[in-house]
Amino acid sequence: MASVVHPVREGIRGPNIASADVQLPAVRDYEQVDRDIIGTLGFTKKWFLGLSVAVLAMLIGVSAWIYQIYWGLGQAGYEPPVMWGNYIITFVFWVGIGHAGTLISAILYLFRAGFRTSIYRAAEAMTVFAVMTAGLFPIIHIGRPWKFFWLIPYPNWRLLWPNFKSPLVWDVFAISTYLTISTTFLFIGLIPDIAVLRDKETNPMRKRILSILSLGWRNSDREWRHFAKAYLFLAAFSTPLVLSVHSVVSFDFAMALTPGWHASIFPPYFVAGAIFSGFAMVWTIAIPMRKWFKLEHYITLNHLDATAKVVLFTSLVVGSAYMIEFFIAWYSSVRAEQEFFWNRVFGQWWWAAWIMLLCNMALPMSLWSQKLRRNPTWLFVLSLFINLGMWFERFVIVVPSLSHEFEPWQWGGYMVSWVDMAFLVGSFGWFFMWFLLFVKQLPVMAIAELKEIVAPRVKYAHHDQGIDTAGHHLPYGTATPGEDD
Amino acid sequence: MTTEAGTGVKRREFLKILGATGATTAVVGCSSEKVGKLIPYVTSPDNTVPGVSQYYATSCRECSAGCGVLAEVRDGRPIKLDGNPEHPLNRGAICATGLAGIQGLYNPDRYRSPMVREGNALKPTTWDKAYELLAQKLGEVKSKGQAGSVVFVNQHETGTFPGFLDQWLSAQGMPAHLSVDSTAPIATIAANQKAYGAAWPALNFSAAKLVISFGADFLDGWGHSVPQQLDWADARAKLDTAPRLVYIGARRSLTGLNADQWIAAKAGSEMAICSALAGTGSAAAAAEAADVPVVTIEALIKAVADAGNGIMALCGVSGNDAVECGVMVAEINKKGGAVGTTINTARAHGAYTGLASYADLATAVKNMEAGTVPLAFVRGANPAHTMPKAAGFAAAFAKVPFKVSFSSMPDETAQLADLVLPDNHWLESWGDAVGEHGQISLQQPTLDPVFDTRATADVLIDLARKDQALAARYNVANFRSWYISQFPGGASAFATALTKASVAGAPLVATSPRPLAATAAPVTDGAGEFFVQVYPSPTLGDGAGANKPWLQELPDPVTKIAWQSWIEVHPSTAKKLGIKEGSHLTIETAAGKVTAPAYIYMGVRTDTVAIALGQGHSAYGRFAQNIGVNAYDLVSHGWDSAGGLAIGSVKGKVTVSADSSPLVTTEGSARQHGRGIAQAMTLAALLGQETEDEAGHHNIPGLPSQDFRTGLKAPVAADAQGEYANPLSKDKGMYDAGHSSKMESRRWAMTIDLARCTGCSACVTACYSENNIPTVGAPYQGRALSPMTWDERPGANIIKGREMAWIRIERYYEGNENTENEFSPDFETRFVAMMCQHCGNAPCEPVCPVYATYHSPDGLNVQVYNRCVGTRYCSNNCPYKVRYFNWFGYGEPERRQYAWPEPMHWGLNPDVTVRGKGVMEKCSFCVQRIREAEHRARAEDRELKPDEFTVACAQACASRAIIFGDAADENWTVSKLAYDRRAYHVFEELNAYTAVVYLKKVNYPAPAAPATA
Repeated sequence: MASVVHPVREGIRGPNIASADVQLPAVRDYEQVDRDIIGTLGFTKKWFLGLSVAVLAMLIGVSAWIYQIYWGLGQAGYEPPVMWGNYIITFVFWVGIGHAGTLISAILYLFRAGFRTSIYRAAEAMTVFAVMTAGLFPIIHIGRPWKFFWLIPYPNWRLLWPNFKSPLVWDVFAISTYLTISTTFLFIGLIPDIAVLRDKETNPMRKRILSILSLGWRNSDREWRHFAKAYLFLAAFSTPLVLSVHSVVSFDFAMALTPGWHASIFPPYFVAGAIFSGFAMVWTIAIPMRKWFKLEHYITLNHLDATAKVVLFTSLVVGSAYMIEFFIAWYSSVRAEQEFFWNRVFGQWWWAAWIMLLCNMALPMSLWSQKLRRNPTWLFVLSLFINLGMWFERFVIVVPSLSHEFEPWQWGGYMVSWVDMAFLVGSFGWFFMWFLLFVKQLPVMAIAELKEIVAPRVKYAHHDQGIDTAGHHLPYGTATPGEDD
Repeated sequence: MTTEAGTGVKRREFLKILGATGATTAVVGCSSEKVGKLIPYVTSPDNTVPGVSQYYATSCRECSAGCGVLAEVRDGRPIKLDGNPEHPLNRGAICATGLAGIQGLYNPDRYRSPMVREGNALKPTTWDKAYELLAQKLGEVKSKGQAGSVVFVNQHETGTFPGFLDQWLSAQGMPAHLSVDSTAPIATIAANQKAYGAAWPALNFSAAKLVISFGADFLDGWGHSVPQQLDWADARAKLDTAPRLVYIGARRSLTGLNADQWIAAKAGSEMAICSALAGTGSAAAAAEAADVPVVTIEALIKAVADAGNGIMALCGVSGNDAVECGVMVAEINKKGGAVGTTINTARAHGAYTGLASYADLATAVKNMEAGTVPLAFVRGANPAHTMPKAAGFAAAFAKVPFKVSFSSMPDETAQLADLVLPDNHWLESWGDAVGEHGQISLQQPTLDPVFDTRATADVLIDLARKDQALAARYNVANFRSWYISQFPGGASAFATALTKASVAGAPLVATSPRPLAATAAPVTDGAGEFFVQVYPSPTLGDGAGANKPWLQELPDPVTKIAWQSWIEVHPSTAKKLGIKEGSHLTIETAAGKVTAPAYIYMGVRTDTVAIALGQGHSAYGRFAQNIGVNAYDLVSHGWDSAGGLAIGSVKGKVTVSADSSPLVTTEGSARQHGRGIAQAMTLAALLGQETEDEAGHHNIPGLPSQDFRTGLKAPVAADAQGEYANPLSKDKGMYDAGHSSKMESRRWAMTIDLARCTGCSACVTACYSENNIPTVGAPYQGRALSPMTWDERPGANIIKGREMAWIRIERYYEGNENTENEFSPDFETRFVAMMCQHCGNAPCEPVCPVYATYHSPDGLNVQVYNRCVGTRYCSNNCPYKVRYFNWFGYGEPERRQYAWPEPMHWGLNPDVTVRGKGVMEKCSFCVQRIREAEHRARAEDRELKPDEFTVACAQACASRAIIFGDAADENWTVSKLAYDRRAYHVFEELNAYTAVVYLKKVNYPAPAAPATA
């Protein structure tokens, strides 16, 4: 990869902390990279078990959908005036998760943040699958899902077009664009790696498929030059999308009159929340993965430490947004807004608001501690809390706002039904089904990019040493701080 | 009904059109057993055009008032009932119960043929066999000489039929029938007769300065609500000379909530207050007995004196001394000289002539118990449900060897009968009713019987013709022929009278008056510290309305509870006893006990609990059965000196259970939270004597005060598309003011006068009827609680807030914030009708991704069901929360949640789409009526006339609170009212430019009684 981190090819590396943090001292050579990464692809019983669970969960969701289409949306927990519920909450939840991938692969690429190398492939795949999951929910949510295509501007003799003033139509564009671009980005990045797989593949059928997918990659200079340019271009192209998609999703709320929604702070607040939840989901996936696939050499504690700092930062952003919302409500002098925000923390859903504040504001503060930032177990537990907290953030935005609007006579309640829960389970099943299929078909790390930060054996043969966090070289054989012990 | 050749029944033959099912309706399939024989309109009848409504003037028989109604008949089926504007009694208005007559007609649980008892069950039979059996039994009874002991219980009604029935009975040697009405205020009628010499003098509210109601719920169940409500609202609309209303009673009823002052007198203390007002007792004694401050009584005495002949005191007390109390109340009117001004005996309503008292019925039951009754007939009444348990009706009835019911519904009494000869519904029958005194209004069928039923009058004639001794006397084909033969002026006069709302005349057979006097059988109090007040339900009455889903779904105007029984307790009592909303309470009186969830209501005294009648049916069809409890179980078998059942207050015990169940209520918050939805002003403010202190306008900080003057503006929709949506075209299509449709020059709008609105909720049912709104509360309509089980609680969907009422009456309280800790009677109630506001700048429109909702050139916010994909964003963005979603396939016959089980769907309005599942719906301002009027005007090549038509809610409204029309045309009433000085828009600060303008309520604080205000 052309321009990312140029490994120091000769001599003692300088104390470049940014890059030193993310060096892979325990990885000796290119062959080891191929071996380790491609080694994760073999089918195992445990994997198959996991896939079965995911497929089963997905089937629960599918059955729920068939059931719901037959009977009507009344089977879900909607309680007017709460006309949006679990499906929109879960939609925003998955869209949010879908943000980390592109952020990591595109924005961090442009920012030259070296720690992205090990995690970006998994994150990008996660993005695509999360957006695929999220994209289902608006369809699940609407009353007549078989008419969903009416939201898409297609030529028809009745000259009927969607209403371009509606944020929901913006959503359609935002989500479909995002899905297209992130899929393309994922695929482009995969090309050299697919070529590696192709070269090692013995099964003629698979080899043929991989040949097609690798677009005849021959590892030539010219190809690398074009590849690097294409990748850079797509990174630049995706970057505004990272910001725009969740901004547009936030318009679903911010453009409405509803107290608790009608706030201009929503776009940045949503983007920060999305990055926050996306990184948490990266942990949820990457921490077990590095353990099970024995990739601790690649996703080192340094990597986790760096991502933890992003999470800490976005948590602060999200936390201030929460507080600013209260300020705005007070400052607006709009009675309905003020009552709503009072109700948010002390009303019938006080517990949801406090779960949100606890998980998204309070618990991430533990990341000020370096010790905890480098504790994968804690990060994994924290990631689950953040996922929960971010689901509840969307719950707090959607449900209490709608239940407590302008018209007191129509204040109401909400309780999810078993059908809602089936969809929630099904969405995780659907997501993990794709992810599990992915990890056994394609490399979860960018082999080519990893090789860029692994020193070629021939040059480093005499060094035989790792690097500590400050970039100082350690004698070979001593434990490197970047690895689990 | 029999149709015989040569009787010239042309129109009834035209009405043989029941077969218009299947092929002609969109609804898939099912038909009644009769349909096979009938083909609608092979020969098109004269004067009928498919798709064009015909209107038949008939008389409503849902209660004894006899209001004139117009039945809208489309392609042979009545689809809607409207008040007859020419009828002197109801003047075009109609109540919810009357509107729901349609659902009695098309009720799926009606008997479809005669039924005969075989063992423990009633089995269908034929009319011939049923006649044979009954003739045989009649013969046996007569031959044994027991005819004199036969009992015939009939529902109380006016007109010819009661007299006709008595003639028939006497020809058979049987005693006159008992004409029963379990909700008639018998004590008041008796007292009126004693005091004024008239059973029900007209109440001239417009002449009144002060109205004092002693528990008389004149806007609701006491007397005849529609005419009383019309007069009351007109009187209140005088604003500065309007009467004040003081309500005295232990529970604030609907009338109580409309009162300017509530004197929360202890149950049974009415006599003491009456005496104080009539000058025979002291204020101190009255205050002591009533447990109210003495200043309140003193102020009231002064107010009565000040009112002079403008006083109107009304008594609705029920209890041991109810008659005496009624006489005493009349004394107040007499003393003030109000008889002749506010109490108009000259225009007395004859509706209660011939009414039998509860004591009369009790005597009959006693005879049954004694085994001396050989044969009993019951028609239209349901004593098995509407008599207290202690009356022992079921057991006594069982001792009658042969019992005949004419009930059309499988009610509790019919279930006990040996033979059921189902009567026609009143929309299928001939008859007449006494409306105003000296006037009769005819009743004519609007379709052939839906099922194999026969009018009881025809059955009587058929039976008589089978009896050799009587055949000559009843030598007519049916009741109609008999009626015409007796009608003054004969067939031609009859034909003319049919087209009139009412004509001068009297019933063809006079009803013999029946004295309302009995030896009182006083009720004894049970053990316990609470007064238990039992009252007729405003929506279901004594339970007769419980089989109609519209009435079950209509929230009780006071408590806003539907599909349920509830027990009202005061908040402070609830706090003391640890009662939460929905906690199961058990009331135990000397007569019995019932258990129902608690409703915490600050309109009852702390020592009183209240429960409504109406529910608790063990039979009576799918919409009534097993819902709630029967409050008659709490009532003792005792009566006052007029023989009226003492259902009022008795002492009882209340126990709280740890169980609870959610209330089926449409109420969110009963407080406005300062949002100015229902606004009011004092009389002084109206007169300009004081500045309005209430925040009438929503001022946005930093902006100049926003006074009401948005002028009903509706910006031309930016999505106006002319010339096939060519964006370059300047043609705005129908949005162009010069367009030939003239739509752009109209601005449909509505005003709602809160000074008139009483909260009766008839508009809600009218809307259900006009707009095919599904009822969603029936026990079978709930959602699945798991893949295997369904939520079968009555009103389960309403618990989830999924009611579909396009118009709702919100009931907001003002004042009394500390009611949990301290009792105070001083709170104000404001009723506000809320429906789609048809905003000129509608928040729902821009958010719809598919243009399913858009703005029409004439100012309507239009919902296109076919285009809706159901994102529900519009509802989220609607500040008024008036959009409703079809959560289930309420309109799909194959779905469990189907709202119109066959043949109920016959009553659907063909002009209005039945919405499928997954789409949004909302008030359309009855767009079908607007377009119909426009098309009619166009066909007749003329302009729309001002106030030419109106919408369903406005048409039904007995308070005339809702006015609809074209606000852009100054000749329409609405455009004048929209600029009234009381006018305001709800949530004006949101800049939605609503087309619904509210007129503030006017409050009349007690003059010179600052101590209690």
